[in-house]
Amino acid sequence: MDYIIQTVISALSVGSFYALGALGIGLLFSVLRLINFAHGDFITVGGFALIVPSSAVVATVAIGGLHPAIMVVAIVAIVVALAVISYFLVFQHSQTSSPATMMIVSFALGYTLQNLIVMIYGGRPKAVNIFPSLTGQVQLSDGVSVQILQLVIIAVTWILLIALVLFLKRTRVGVQMRAAAEDFRMARMLGVNGKNVIALAFVLSGGLAGIMSILFVTQTGVLIFRMGVPIMLFFFIATVIGGMGSLVGAVVGGYSVGIVSVVLSAILPEELRGFRDACVFILVIVILLARPQGIVLTKAAKERV
Amino acid sequence: MLLEVKDITVHYSRLPALREVSVTVDEGEIVCIVGPNGAGKSTTLLAISGVLNPTHGEILFDGDKINGMSAEAVARSGISQVPEGRHVFTTLNVEENLRIGTSIRKDRENIEKDFKHILEIFPVLAERRKQAAGKLSGGEQQMLVIGRALLTNPRIMTIDEPSLGLAPNLVDRVYETLIDLRRSRGLTLLIVEQSSERALKAADRLYVLRSGQMQLEGKAADLRDGEKVRQAYFGFEEGSADDGKVAF
Amino acid sequence: MIEANTPFLRMVRSFWPLVSLSLLLLIIVAAVDLSGDIILAQTLIEGLVRIVIVAALYMFIGNSGIISFGHIGFVMVGAYATAWQTCCPYTREMFMPGLPEYLLNTSHHFIPAILLGGLLAALVALIAGFAIMRMSGIAASIGTFAFMMVLYSAYLRWSTWTSGASSVIGLPTTTTPWVGYVYAVIALAAAYFYSRSKWGLALRSSRDDEVAAKAAGVNVFGQRLLAFVISAFFCGMAGGLFGHFLGMLTVDSFYLGMTFITLSMLVVGGMQSLTGAVVGVIMLSVVIDVLRRLETGVGSFSIPSSSAEVGVGLILLIILIFRRTGLTGNAEIYWPFKADISSSGAMKRQS
Repeated sequence: MDYIIQTVISALSVGSFYALGALGIGLLFSVLRLINFAHGDFITVGGFALIVPSSAVVATVAIGGLHPAIMVVAIVAIVVALAVISYFLVFQHSQTSSPATMMIVSFALGYTLQNLIVMIYGGRPKAVNIFPSLTGQVQLSDGVSVQILQLVIIAVTWILLIALVLFLKRTRVGVQMRAAAEDFRMARMLGVNGKNVIALAFVLSGGLAGIMSILFVTQTGVLIFRMGVPIMLFFFIATVIGGMGSLVGAVVGGYSVGIVSVVLSAILPEELRGFRDACVFILVIVILLARPQGIVLTKAAKERV
Repeated sequence: MLLEVKDITVHYSRLPALREVSVTVDEGEIVCIVGPNGAGKSTTLLAISGVLNPTHGEILFDGDKINGMSAEAVARSGISQVPEGRHVFTTLNVEENLRIGTSIRKDRENIEKDFKHILEIFPVLAERRKQAAGKLSGGEQQMLVIGRALLTNPRIMTIDEPSLGLAPNLVDRVYETLIDLRRSRGLTLLIVEQSSERALKAADRLYVLRSGQMQLEGKAADLRDGEKVRQAYFGFEEGSADDGKVAF
Repeated sequence: MIEANTPFLRMVRSFWPLVSLSLLLLIIVAAVDLSGDIILAQTLIEGLVRIVIVAALYMFIGNSGIISFGHIGFVMVGAYATAWQTCCPYTREMFMPGLPEYLLNTSHHFIPAILLGGLLAALVALIAGFAIMRMSGIAASIGTFAFMMVLYSAYLRWSTWTSGASSVIGLPTTTTPWVGYVYAVIALAAAYFYSRSKWGLALRSSRDDEVAAKAAGVNVFGQRLLAFVISAFFCGMAGGLFGHFLGMLTVDSFYLGMTFITLSMLVVGGMQSLTGAVVGVIMLSVVIDVLRRLETGVGSFSIPSSSAEVGVGLILLIILIFRRTGLTGNAEIYWPFKADISSSGAMKRQS
């Protein structure tokens, strides 16, 4: 029973993480039809921004050593800046292209970012220790002890989700963004500034990536240039399975993938545990064969992909 | 002249969709463009809205050149378009749809006044204020998009096929509302219509477009018997009514 | 001016892109062979193997319009399948202890080995494609990316058959420039004739307008799957060629790096053009080679390591932003001499 509770919390924690990631992808897809292959690398950049740029074997903390509140704000600001600069420098020019072309553009951007990181920081993994207190355990009841960070991730995710929903429903710009996501041309014909709405989507997506980089690095304690790639893949899978073009779908997809992933880890026999990711993908493909448009259906999703 | 479209040519890739088309609309007029499918009527409105860029020619609004401006900028200048197929934002509710119309306006007091006023003109929208726009009937959606366009406080409104997909009595209501708006707010209207009958009843002046070229222009009063319009619409020559050939 | 007025010349003219590209490569291979420069020969062989891969990519991506990030997975399948057959007869058990008896004890000649590697890759493509090609364009692309990642992590863990994170050493280095040339021409010919076939045409119709193609009776799923399988076959063979070029294999070489470089070569050259595939390979191979030499240093000047990758990334971004259709503008090389369309010319052709 205690084991089950711990697994549930673990599943919710991983699910929350993937939901945040899927949301970052989904925001840009709904407004711009862009599958951002560089999203994982934005997270990586956020992580590397914690240390001094050098290829030394042992990383010296720079921003990572500041007061926690300042550190969080600084990292988020850096990633948001990166996202917005990417929009104005790179994505803005391919806006009129097909989604396929934009996908390659983001892939190129991501790959370039990865190799710039190797150029500056070297290719070897570096250890980083931020928020060490969060990696400790907390006793929930007699026999159930979970990592504090897991609870933090769940809490942070829900705070962000609620904030995002309030933003999209209650603010003028938020409603404009929803309108632009559904029918970009019509929104522009009513005077909505397309460029601003898209830039705002990049700000939100970048902000989510920044927060995720802090959570991710706190958990893994390691920085390596490729660390964004596997998680980015899970974000895509979550978006596809949840229903592309729908933010609710992104969250549902994220939780689905996270829960399946943790459950598989728990029940797979020893020898197969390394193949857990492959099993997740196979399950996803089975679901997609039965329901290619994803779990959550919106009118928007039907016309989109 | 409030709106002047001067000899515009519009291409879709290498295909000319409009060839040297001219339209003028004076303040307070209701002008209709009619023509068969594929004539280029929607293309004309899209060129005015800034969604399409004419390869030749000019579009002047109140004397200022607007061709080449972005769609947002055109909307800000005071031209509002209700495109073909209504295009309500289905994921937003009625009120949110209407509020999008106020995106370009900054005068909060007047916005609220106008908002209440629109709800008075279209009481059915007031009833369904919080409903998802996708759930409204065709006629209600048409009212919604007209109200939404009105909230941008335009000097001229272009509407593409307001009768599309609506039952005849609903179409009557829509046109009644439009003519009423002209009377009460001095709104100028440029309407694209498939039905030349309907256009002749509502318009002050009429244009007939076919295969990307303007075939006929005139006061509705002069064209009321419909014969000249019919010829221009179908491309028949005088006396060869049995021909059935449509010139391309 | 050469008129195409004999049957032979007419045939040359109708297959001109294929003929001219093969001639171009022939000249390059012959020149490098004559020069005797070994290092240049190595770069050339790598380029020829890449031509096989990029031609296969063109076959699928150019005709279907679906970006595939997964074809390097097929290269890896073919490469290791070849290794199972030809590698290191005395030390095979040491590197890959899990192989079945039959594979541990037999060795094939490299040509059938490479062929079998291609066939295995095609089989894997058939199975994976069955699920992936049902998805719509963007989702299918994501599916191919997932496929590549799964294959990579599976081969990494399957150390009893692949040596996991360490290398398999000892494949016979039978891929010479001329061997590479033959396979490159075969791949180019396959891509060329497939594109001009009714299947290639059917697939291209779905690229431009999927709904219209389906309405016209095109089996979009079937055509996509066919292109996926054929292109996987050639990628598999390229993997075998690659293994016999390096003499060794590591799972890590078949991951993001190779995916990115081959995809870039196709896009930079022109996604929808076979000429583009070759142009892209040549251009980027030169750029990468130059940058790598600068990385190791010319005299006292050197640029930071990983500059080659960043350089390719920047080139790709620039092309995508300013010239989406690639260096060739999605066009092929056409017969440079004017056809004689006068009536006297027609009469001459008739007689």
